[in-house]
Amino acid sequence: MPDIWGQAAVATKFLLYLGVLTSAGLILCRQVFSEQLAGLDRFLRAWAVFFALLAAAMSFLGFAVRGAVLMDDASGMTDLAILALLWETPPGDALLLRLLGLGALLTGVVLGGRWLWVALLGSFLAIWSFCEIGHVASEDRLWFQSVLFGHLIVAAFWIGVLLPLHKLAGSADTLRVAAVLGHRFGQVASVAVPLLLLAGVVMTWRLVGSLSALLGTAYGLTLLAKIAVVTLLLALAAINKTRIVPALQSGDPKAGPHLARSISLEWVCISVILLATAVFTSILTVPS
Amino acid sequence: MIYRVALTILLALTSAQALAHSEKESMTPADGAILDAVPETIGLRFNDGMRLTKVEMTHAETHTEALDLGTQSGFVKEFSLPLTPMGPGMYHIEWRGLGVDGHPMNGVFSFEVK
Repeated sequence: MPDIWGQAAVATKFLLYLGVLTSAGLILCRQVFSEQLAGLDRFLRAWAVFFALLAAAMSFLGFAVRGAVLMDDASGMTDLAILALLWETPPGDALLLRLLGLGALLTGVVLGGRWLWVALLGSFLAIWSFCEIGHVASEDRLWFQSVLFGHLIVAAFWIGVLLPLHKLAGSADTLRVAAVLGHRFGQVASVAVPLLLLAGVVMTWRLVGSLSALLGTAYGLTLLAKIAVVTLLLALAAINKTRIVPALQSGDPKAGPHLARSISLEWVCISVILLATAVFTSILTVPS
Repeated sequence: MIYRVALTILLALTSAQALAHSEKESMTPADGAILDAVPETIGLRFNDGMRLTKVEMTHAETHTEALDLGTQSGFVKEFSLPLTPMGPGMYHIEWRGLGVDGHPMNGVFSFEVK
């Protein structure tokens, strides 16, 4: 079991992933599905601000927790010499990129309108910050970092559609819009999700390297747990696409509550996936 | 299904070494070594650049003290740290450091003086 600072590192990383991917995903969906989501502009921007502020807070806290990890003591969180040392390494570069991205995201979201494109660029920058640090970045290959970037963009897109779709499915007045949004998301996802899975396979192959490492190391087991939940998530998505969204399109009044329940389950799956990812990016060693 | 997944993650966590990313190459004295006299220094050699942030020595499970890391500059692969002689018994060394790639690293090793 990791010590208290290892657990703190996992917790802050989990909330960081949730904050960055949800705020970025909300902006991405707002721009891609601008016609369907125009009526939810204030709702989406408010949640984007909340999750971006969560991400910014976790960026600072996570950086400070690294200091505590290095000193095995809470004093490391405020030790200027230790924090300055960290600042010189990739976590410092990533923190700077992430804060710049989140700053642009927040500015664009607060100003709204055309500024949402600035927010979108900020989202991309914040997501790219994950490609500048960790196991993928240590390979120092741009194509490999780009694979992770594509993986995260699609993940953010998926997460970003959940809040507006849940909101639209919750009211009889907006079920028709929910049907259109669900259908359009399904069309984009049928191309994007296979790319997300392909990127996951490529990263697994590069980082884990062998079947024995996948089955015989903590890193591999955590990755397998993540894959199991991803499979569950894909099953939920398939049910949405083949049953619930067509029922919504045909005007079935029960389809709205069904979709809302399915989205709640998707949130549970996504939380477990992000937690598993936080575990193997924070405290586990890459087998290869 | 979710219960099984949660259990798998828990198992993975409990089997993990606390803070991983420890890529020590060799420690002097070696882990498990039995010596006739207390060495004046301990050596830590890594396969990549490192900046030590904390090294503690515990003697005979009773006395713990932080070792003097001296003046460090940049990231280096080899360290030699002075050791306070405490007489016969088990010496347990626990170290923490920052890898040049920004990964926190840690590790432990022990040796015995007859």
